Amino acid sequence: MNRTPRVHWISILLGLLVLMSVVSFHAYTAVKPEPVRHLGAVRELPEHTLALAFHGGPDPKWTPRALDVLRDAGVKATFFVTGTQVTRNPEVTRRIVAEGHQVGIDGFRVEGDHGDPLNLEFAQAALADALGVHARLVGAPAEVDSGDRDFQDIGTLVRMSLRAKGGVVRLHDDGSIGADIVRELVKEPGYRFVPVPGGQVVAASAAERFTGTVTTWSQRNGGVVLVLLGTAIAIAALLGILRTLMQLGLAHTDRRLRRESEQAPPPWFAPPVSVVVPAYNEALNIAATVRSIAANNHLADVEVIVVDDGSTDGTADRAEELDLPGVTVIRQANQGKPAALNAGIRRARHDVLVLLDGDTIFEPDTIGQLVQPFADNGVGAVSGNAKVGNRQGVLGRWQHLEYCAGSNLDRQILHALRCIPTVPGAIGAFRKAAITDVGGVSDATLAEDTDLTMAVTRAGWRVAYRPQAKAWTEAPVTVPSLFRQRYRWSYGTFQAMWKHRGALVERGPMGRFGLIYLVMFHLLLPLLAPMMDLYVAYGFLVADAPLAAVVWTVFLLLQTASAGYALRLDGESLKPLWAYPLQQIVYRQLMYAVVIQSLITAVHGTQLRWMSVRRTGRLADAPGGTVHVI
Amino acid sequence: MQVFVDGNGGRRVVARLVSLTVVSGLIAFAAVVGGTLLGAW
Repeated sequence: MNRTPRVHWISILLGLLVLMSVVSFHAYTAVKPEPVRHLGAVRELPEHTLALAFHGGPDPKWTPRALDVLRDAGVKATFFVTGTQVTRNPEVTRRIVAEGHQVGIDGFRVEGDHGDPLNLEFAQAALADALGVHARLVGAPAEVDSGDRDFQDIGTLVRMSLRAKGGVVRLHDDGSIGADIVRELVKEPGYRFVPVPGGQVVAASAAERFTGTVTTWSQRNGGVVLVLLGTAIAIAALLGILRTLMQLGLAHTDRRLRRESEQAPPPWFAPPVSVVVPAYNEALNIAATVRSIAANNHLADVEVIVVDDGSTDGTADRAEELDLPGVTVIRQANQGKPAALNAGIRRARHDVLVLLDGDTIFEPDTIGQLVQPFADNGVGAVSGNAKVGNRQGVLGRWQHLEYCAGSNLDRQILHALRCIPTVPGAIGAFRKAAITDVGGVSDATLAEDTDLTMAVTRAGWRVAYRPQAKAWTEAPVTVPSLFRQRYRWSYGTFQAMWKHRGALVERGPMGRFGLIYLVMFHLLLPLLAPMMDLYVAYGFLVADAPLAAVVWTVFLLLQTASAGYALRLDGESLKPLWAYPLQQIVYRQLMYAVVIQSLITAVHGTQLRWMSVRRTGRLADAPGGTVHVI
Repeated sequence: MQVFVDGNGGRRVVARLVSLTVVSGLIAFAAVVGGTLLGAW
């Protein structure tokens, strides 16, 4: 019973299909095609026998008038109804039958709209919902046209109706004249009035009645669903715009402040540093990671502690083989990353700790840059700037774009708001006192980095961001491994948010901004954003395709411009920007799926294990190029 | 114990039951409506 829940995906897909069907059907019923008259079979009636056949209804105003006249004359007629009108006027339809008249089907949207069987079934479904019956009369038989569509003079119309001295007379109950013709016809001496032969209805099947309920509901309420969908999209769009504005505004301000501080730089701060590298099956990358740390140009002592958390691929051996001065390797049974970090922290000699993953490559000045904010005694943690080291392929480019345009810009906003929720595991530094204050690294969540950062912030420490401190990390190269990584991040972040929900009622930036920011942009927005895609699909397929294309393109251009700005801020080339529009089609949906899966897992209470990402050891875009040769 | 994790499994069982009920309902719904409409073909 510990399996990751999956059944909800069928529910979600079916639910979306139903939703799309409801709004599409609603739009479909609003379109009125040209009426097509089918010449029905001849129904032989005795001479001087008339069968009155009404079309175009039921109509809320004119059908009752025709019914009144028929009742007063004691004549039974046949009403060839239109499906959409039945749904709009079920009471009138019921009155037709209640007064003993016959019902046939003329089409679904207009007369003759039964060329394909689906339309016919829609009309039967509408009738099944309103009356619980299935009509046998489909399409009118050969008729004597009363001419009520073409002429106004009642004498002419009566003459036309009686020109065959009998037969099925074609009338319309969606206008005033039909009832007037009947009033005159019933006065004609020598005529007998009968319903159209063969028009008895039968009881509709349960499935047809249920389908009728659904199609009727869709016709009536599709507009409401569309409004609800539109509201969700409006909220998502507003959140998206708000985020973009915040990103651009705050990131710009943050950069300006940094430039000012660069013009009058504070004294260089160079405390001794302990670097802790927890590693589990990182044999492919660990040597490059440790070498890159050892090659630092920090102005004080740097000790490196590699904690091998029970690897089975010889990670510890790889690290020891390097035989680098100042590097210690600890081996422990597999206990998880938090335990490995705690073991390394316990062994650390210095008060400033740099924590990084076993697949991260540092630049020579990374450590020196990363520790600068610690010159301020109130700073308890510093986030560095994680960069994608393998940008080959579309997936690598997308992640590179997301790191720059998403995470890093986010971090700059949150830095300005003083509530960075995550110092990433790939590159972060902590004051030992801050970690001690919160009781070490907790294993209560799968995002131990977010959990630790939130705890440190709630303990009163400030968290800073140092974009100049760059670390190169290996991004997943396949969609499944990317999904697994993000699933863990997202689920872990939700765990940390829930664990630290108390911050909402505390005085402090984490509760006031941090958690609210995460709820708005990492929970609500990804959940609402799929509606945007659904709406665009609806726009393209059902509604106004050119308008949908324009709206979508404008949004895409805005987002691409924002991403371009983020790349510029991060000092990156604009070249990978071409992959951004494609990101909207696959990558973005993958990220929604991650959030939905995380939420469902949280509700189910499933124990999610650490899911490692398969390493390739190729960080071609990191300084030093390919770092491993198999 | 990790955050969200259901210790005794009760929540998981309830969540799975709800999930299965929803999916069965939707499948039955789609089968009846889709079957009736497409059956006309």
